[in-house]
Amino acid sequence: MATASDSKSLPVRFALYITLLVIIAITFIPLYWMVVAATLPQEEFFTLPPRLLPGTHFLENLQALEARFPYLRSVWNSVFVATVYTVISLFLCALAGFAFAKYEFKYREPLFYFILATLVLPVQIMIIPMYLLMAQFGLLDTHIALILPFLANPVGIFLMRQSMLSIPDSLLDAARIDGASEFQIFYRIALPAMKPMLAALAVILFISQWNAFLYPLVILESEELFTIPLAIERLTGHQRIYFDQIMVAATIAIIPMIVLFLWLQEHFVRGFTNSM
Amino acid sequence: MTSIDLDNVSKVYDPNGEAIEAVSDLDISIQDGEFLVFVGPSGCGKTTTLRAIAGLESITDGSIVFGGEDVTDARPRERGVAMVFQDYALYPHMTVRENIGFGLRLSSGLSEQEIERRVEETTEMLGIEDLLDDQPGELSGGQQQRVALGRAIVRDPSVFLLDEPLSNLDAKLRTDMRKEILRLQQELEVTAIYVTHDQTEAMAMGDRVAIMNHGRLQQIGPPEAVYLDPANKFVAGFLGSPSMNFLEASVESTDGTTTLEADGEFRHELPAGSVASSATEYDRVVVGIRPEDLEIVETGGVPVEVTVVEAMGDENVVYVDLGSTELTARIDSTVRLSRGDRIRIDFDSDDLYLFDPDTEAALETKTAQLTAYREPRQADATNP
Amino acid sequence: MSLRDNRNVKSVKTSIRTTRNTVRDALPTVPGVPYLYILPFYVLFGLFLAFPVVYTLYLSFFEYQGPGSGTLLEIDLVVFEAGVPRISSLEFVGLHNYRRLFGDALFLQSVENTIIITLIQMPLMVIVSLAVALMLHAKFVRYSGYFRTAIALPVTANYVAYSAIFLVMFAENFGFINYMLASAGLPTIPWRTDGFWAKVSLALALDWRWMGYNMLILFAGLQGIDRRLYEAAEIDGASRWEKFRYVTLPQLRPILLFVIILSTIGALQLFAEPMIITDGGPANQTITVVMYMYEEAFSRFNLGYASAITYALVVFVTILAYVQLKLGGE
Repeated sequence: MATASDSKSLPVRFALYITLLVIIAITFIPLYWMVVAATLPQEEFFTLPPRLLPGTHFLENLQALEARFPYLRSVWNSVFVATVYTVISLFLCALAGFAFAKYEFKYREPLFYFILATLVLPVQIMIIPMYLLMAQFGLLDTHIALILPFLANPVGIFLMRQSMLSIPDSLLDAARIDGASEFQIFYRIALPAMKPMLAALAVILFISQWNAFLYPLVILESEELFTIPLAIERLTGHQRIYFDQIMVAATIAIIPMIVLFLWLQEHFVRGFTNSM
Repeated sequence: MTSIDLDNVSKVYDPNGEAIEAVSDLDISIQDGEFLVFVGPSGCGKTTTLRAIAGLESITDGSIVFGGEDVTDARPRERGVAMVFQDYALYPHMTVRENIGFGLRLSSGLSEQEIERRVEETTEMLGIEDLLDDQPGELSGGQQQRVALGRAIVRDPSVFLLDEPLSNLDAKLRTDMRKEILRLQQELEVTAIYVTHDQTEAMAMGDRVAIMNHGRLQQIGPPEAVYLDPANKFVAGFLGSPSMNFLEASVESTDGTTTLEADGEFRHELPAGSVASSATEYDRVVVGIRPEDLEIVETGGVPVEVTVVEAMGDENVVYVDLGSTELTARIDSTVRLSRGDRIRIDFDSDDLYLFDPDTEAALETKTAQLTAYREPRQADATNP
Repeated sequence: MSLRDNRNVKSVKTSIRTTRNTVRDALPTVPGVPYLYILPFYVLFGLFLAFPVVYTLYLSFFEYQGPGSGTLLEIDLVVFEAGVPRISSLEFVGLHNYRRLFGDALFLQSVENTIIITLIQMPLMVIVSLAVALMLHAKFVRYSGYFRTAIALPVTANYVAYSAIFLVMFAENFGFINYMLASAGLPTIPWRTDGFWAKVSLALALDWRWMGYNMLILFAGLQGIDRRLYEAAEIDGASRWEKFRYVTLPQLRPILLFVIILSTIGALQLFAEPMIITDGGPANQTITVVMYMYEEAFSRFNLGYASAITYALVVFVTILAYVQLKLGGE
């Protein structure tokens, strides 16, 4: 690595690291402050100057929050809906993507480009018809209504097809010779060979459901079915806003995802860069 | 152990409404325990044929019969075939042990211990017992090749199919694996069908060689038979390295002597006999002569100019210009030649091949020399 | 073998030669199996994506009267009887909803708000994320991976949850940001009561949320640039700036465009942030197109008009997305 850029002068390096540290500080301050606010007793929150160190009142604040709103229930709902959605959608997208990548059949191209064309459509286009349709099906105010419409995910099928194209045909032929049925070829050969891409797609799918706000807002009415975004929206919409409780809710929503991100970072990054 | 009959097998692809005939009217009987090699340039239909025999590809017309039983519509697993692929096609997420045992686990109904025992027995036979718990990604090309062979033979197949299995290996390893594959085939007494584009490999390995081009069988027979007695110009040019020289010549017959005249100062008087008799019916013929049959002479022959000399060690491959035609000759390396040298080359009339200029069918070959080699298993040479 | 047959062979020859690749690429045909594999996907896709696309357009030509009764389509086969229920009762109004858009001050306001927020948010975000990506890509920066992870953290934040943090941070009286400004001797900013500053607060929140994401994408783009291009430029005697100007920027151009277009599409669809942080206020100064659509549809139940708003949005987003696909195709 002995190139010209190695000989960067010390002041330049110093300025550069300082800039990076400032950016990181800007990134961290809202998160840090969220944790501070979530752990201080309500009355200390409004003192001036603001407190800069976390307190110990997290559980008390959470109890106060729970007394007003079943927030942990919402957390569970979010996890449940996003997980069920991710597992089913992953399977459907992989199965269809596999068919498009590894089988020859009539109308294969038009069928695939039909899906691709919908990639550019914004999700808002589904909201109104979906509301009417779910009302018709009697599915308003259910979790099924949150999961069902997004299972056929165009990004998912696109990514799965693209990555399954890289599976050599001979691998599938070898399995056929070994006596595998077509479904065993998909399930025991193609899927395991696609693990990294499946993980990346799982991250994309999970996050999309985890962040969903507008559509659940339209579909759900009962507080006990609320997902995290709806719960926090409800908390911020009251006449009197309990800042500490909102920060408790935000902390519970954000910190586990950060941990997940640090743990599964490569899949997150592959997911982001691939879904572009 | 199984004999295989391909009866008028045709395969037509119809991807976008335009029919493409990948294999047409293929008619071959493969004997029990035989090692048959399909050889030809890429796109000639050899791999399609192999995949059709494996059951990986449906056929459009004809039938495939294994040991008297029609398997045309049977799935691969019902045919009892094993196959080795060009890229080995090892399951990347399984260990060597799991790779080899996968087929048995899926369809044999054997107990787990029995599968384990067979897997270990197979790896010992191939000398890869130390690799059992490795993943394919950790193995060298040669080791992967052995695992692929192991996966094929562990199931005790009746037919062993190999699709260019050696083309990804380096030259040294390729020769070793050739011997290894032949040894296994003989030990297991299994019918083997081998596909390659490499004519040297085909000649070295096959009991019989089937040469294909543009979806059609050009000729099938023992290696020396197809080499010495090619059915047409394609076979003659495809087999042998460097390839046979071809030049178009006009035929002059006067007073019982027949003379071939071609580009440059090529003139060759044919002796009376078989060669002459077949040529006299034509105005023009294609003359074929193998590079090893050309020799340098002091006088007589044809004057040519040397353009390129490739040293091979024991001999040189010499490219010479005869008028506007380029000829290739294999000359002993003790004769020192360089670019621009003017030499005379000659050949024996017995070494000539003659072909019909329109149909490209062979008129004259070295059939005479061949009779001595011929085995009882007569080649059913097919002219297209 | 006759001459005629031989000609036949030759014609096969040429047709095979020209189409050989197609033959070799041909995949196995297993009748039925692929259709079976794509069937569940297509049933869901048709019902929940293809149908809504058409139905929203259909609705936009109607005035919504209430939930449907009766049937839209009836199949009567003596033994089998089925009806597709009418899902809403409607009154046809032609292009009225679309004409209304152009005279609707609130809709135009929402479009204007969206544009201004984008104009504030985008340049800052693109410049900062590009600068950070370049810094982290520099060879002499150590621990680049850790820096990247740290800066990318906000990508994990739930939209509503992070909006809630900024709601609290931008509070005018007790908010963290105004407190910091005051303690630095600067005037505090009316984040909630001034239309412009309310837009700025949204833009800043968005920058925080998306800067790391775009940095990751730009960083991946930088890594994709062939090292040899830099070496060639160095041999040609290019300075640091010239290398950036003539190698990095042109190579990164498609990805920069991607980032810009994707962010624009995202801004057009803004909903959670204005809903939580500013609630569209003050005086509708931060109401966005999607917020307006939501209110028309589900507060006032003008589903026909809301569908027309949706289609106006769809047209914009689709155009941008196609531009992006075209650029991405290069």
